[in-house]
Amino acid sequence: MHIAEGFLPPAHAIGWTVAAAPFVVHGARAVVREVRENPESTLLLGAAGAFTFVLSAIKLPSITGSSSHPTGTGAGAILFRPPVMALLGTVVLLFQALLLAHGGLTTLGANAVAFAVVGPWVGYGAYRLTRALGGGLLPGVFAGTAVADLATYVTTSLQLALAFPDPTGGLAGAVVKFLGVFGVTQIPLAIGEGLLGVLLFRALTVNARPELERLGVLRPAAPAAEGPA
Amino acid sequence: MSGLAIDDAAWSSAWRWRSPTDKLLLCLGLVVCASVLPAWPGDVLVGATATALALGPARVPPRIFGRAVRLPMTFIALGTVTAVLSIDDGGIGWAPDAAERAGSLAGSALAGSTAVLLLATTTPISDLLPALRRLGVPAAVVEVASVVYRLVFVLLDSLRTIREAQTARMGYSSLRRTYRSSGALAAAVLTRSWDRARRLQEGLAGRGMETGLRVLPEVLPSSWVFLGATALGVGAIVSVSVALS
Repeated sequence: MHIAEGFLPPAHAIGWTVAAAPFVVHGARAVVREVRENPESTLLLGAAGAFTFVLSAIKLPSITGSSSHPTGTGAGAILFRPPVMALLGTVVLLFQALLLAHGGLTTLGANAVAFAVVGPWVGYGAYRLTRALGGGLLPGVFAGTAVADLATYVTTSLQLALAFPDPTGGLAGAVVKFLGVFGVTQIPLAIGEGLLGVLLFRALTVNARPELERLGVLRPAAPAAEGPA
Repeated sequence: MSGLAIDDAAWSSAWRWRSPTDKLLLCLGLVVCASVLPAWPGDVLVGATATALALGPARVPPRIFGRAVRLPMTFIALGTVTAVLSIDDGGIGWAPDAAERAGSLAGSALAGSTAVLLLATTTPISDLLPALRRLGVPAAVVEVASVVYRLVFVLLDSLRTIREAQTARMGYSSLRRTYRSSGALAAAVLTRSWDRARRLQEGLAGRGMETGLRVLPEVLPSSWVFLGATALGVGAIVSVSVALS
């Protein structure tokens, strides 16, 4: 649910761009530091961004009969951490605007706040909380990916409500309107993205365990104790 | 053929060899006009100008441009209708100035989207990234974005191949199988992206990469005629809009 080019009033577009800037700059600094210390990280970070973009080409069937694509922000935040996702998410949003006509240039800041900042941070928080409460990896992934999707949708609805308050119901009325209209597709999609995240991480724990350990998602398995000869 | 219609159009556009800075200035000028000018006649002029330039001198295939313009329509239609609905004690109804507001909102969004599409269908992203560098974006960030752009097509190709194989094995024949196949597909694409990045890194390390990916930039000189026409055109849109509104 990217806000289309030209949909927000100019003041709101500028305001959201200013709001997104510190997070994106923080992410950019983290990337610059990482690349300076390990030049080969450029390729791994590029691969992470490309994967997030390509996730939008995976269509998920929705309970409402339509199909939509996952945001990828929750899975990205769990794998690569929210600060990096602030930058990678913004790069991916720029590419989506220019390659897929999703979103726009003046609305890049608003979409970055929803998709690259709030979604990853809230999703990562839900993932960490679930794991801290004793949930395993997969329940944590479900919570992280589903909540990231929901947080993105709620943020976009709030942005639209702030831009277009209801003539009689005011901001609260507008929030109800936008949450209600987009919720029809976004709530089933959030559940779908949570399920996809579980299936993705289940496959990764089997096929890419060393990479998950290197990223800190899984603890390295303890070496097997040597038995008597 | 990259597999993304807008990118294919950009590479084969007649404006491919024009300076990306020139095209960026033209499109940003149109985007700003779409944002600040009234729907009539400002947005109509912006939309018509961007479409005429894309289909005329830039020779973007009409089918691709038309399909790309339709892509954001669902959001624009749904968002516009929601914005002009009103909730009160009597239930849901139209806001007092619903038609005018809807026209203005949809007009701005359509005109702005068309202007961005003019840029997208005439300028490959690899041409725009050096412009980001000149705007002060750190080299490391531009390099990461450049790798994203190059890997996107490799991964999309992998995604299509794996999905085709899954489909042939009835992988999408039911809701349950669709989810299972989609999860396996995402995992396969992610592990392939890591594998591809590692192999690229090993190849570049073998060639002595120490400070980053250095390539010769393509020099596409700016045209004063193009910039002058941009200033005149944008000025004319503003003048006509102010005079008629």
